[in-house]
Amino acid sequence: MKSGSIIWNAGLLILLAAVPLLAHHSFAMYDHTKTITLKGSVTKFQWTNPHAYIEMDVTEKGAVKHYSVECTSINMMQRAGWRSNILKFGDQVKAIIAPLNSGQPGGLLLELTLPSGKVMDPGVPAANTFTRTPEK
Amino acid sequence: MRLALLVCALCVLAPLDAIAQRGAAANTPDITGSWERHRGGPGQARETIPPAAPQPPLKPEFLKEWQDRNRAAREADAKGTPLANNATLCLPEGMPGMMGATFPMEILQSKGQVTVIEEAFTQVRRILLDQPQKAVDDVEPGFYGHSVGRWEGDTLAVDTVGVKENVRYQNVPHSANMRIRERLHLVTPDVLWNEITIEDPATFEKPWTFTIAYRRMPGYQLLEYICEDNREFADENGLQKIRIGPTER
Repeated sequence: MKSGSIIWNAGLLILLAAVPLLAHHSFAMYDHTKTITLKGSVTKFQWTNPHAYIEMDVTEKGAVKHYSVECTSINMMQRAGWRSNILKFGDQVKAIIAPLNSGQPGGLLLELTLPSGKVMDPGVPAANTFTRTPEK
Repeated sequence: MRLALLVCALCVLAPLDAIAQRGAAANTPDITGSWERHRGGPGQARETIPPAAPQPPLKPEFLKEWQDRNRAAREADAKGTPLANNATLCLPEGMPGMMGATFPMEILQSKGQVTVIEEAFTQVRRILLDQPQKAVDDVEPGFYGHSVGRWEGDTLAVDTVGVKENVRYQNVPHSANMRIRERLHLVTPDVLWNEITIEDPATFEKPWTFTIAYRRMPGYQLLEYICEDNREFADENGLQKIRIGPTER
């Protein structure tokens, strides 16, 4: 059992070491230790490369705060089932993001729940290295 | 009489030419199609996965430069303030980075040429078959360099020179005289290996050889990739930053 876990850990290390090769852009700007859950209204879905962006307004303590949410390449997203018309202005969505280390109102999308309830994965490389904070 | 001879000669030569072309097509492996990086995984035969790449055999001063750069990048990542690099600026990978197939890759075989298209950044390189290689000084430095190739049995042997010094694979430094040799061959009908050897006596103690494997993606058509709006940028300290804020609807 012990040796099995050593092998597994070694495999994980190799996997982590290989991670930079799987992505063109670094996601180190984002906090890997916590996530925040945004519930708000889509103001724009920017369907572009190198990355797509979801612009959204979130009401926090009675005031509207704007967030920019970075996704991945639209090529990767298409391979994961995303389409350019999957979001439109005014859609109410839930986004789980890794916040920007800079404190700016933005983050990296790890999971999006569409108005239909369907959950979309943007295919962030090494998404499992981001620690999820339980939703309040 | 002369006309009759010419017509007769054409009658003989035309079929021979057709046979020659068919023969070439029949004798060279068909590697046309879409490919993705093959790193193994469930259901994949282990023997089709090449061994991991060794560390680049750089000369001590270049090895130190490379290790220092990698350490600085790791430390910057750990601080959450990554260093900007070519990817931050949406520049293509060039050679040999594009052959890493981070995104799907298409190979097209046509008469006298093999073309490789990498989906990410819409990178394109042309391998001219059975042509002499140019001297490095006769090639304007670029991202992909000048590639010539020939079939040696079942192996496509490719030679590339003329890659710009700032086009670096995994940050590994090289001189303008770097030469990249590739040997592409099918190890199974659906797995292609590319044995890459980088020669650069100015920076390497000996050639650096590693193998990248690809597997077929039946039916996959490459998607468009244009860096239309890159919000990431390098700040005055060389750090990667991002433009955020509301944009027009």
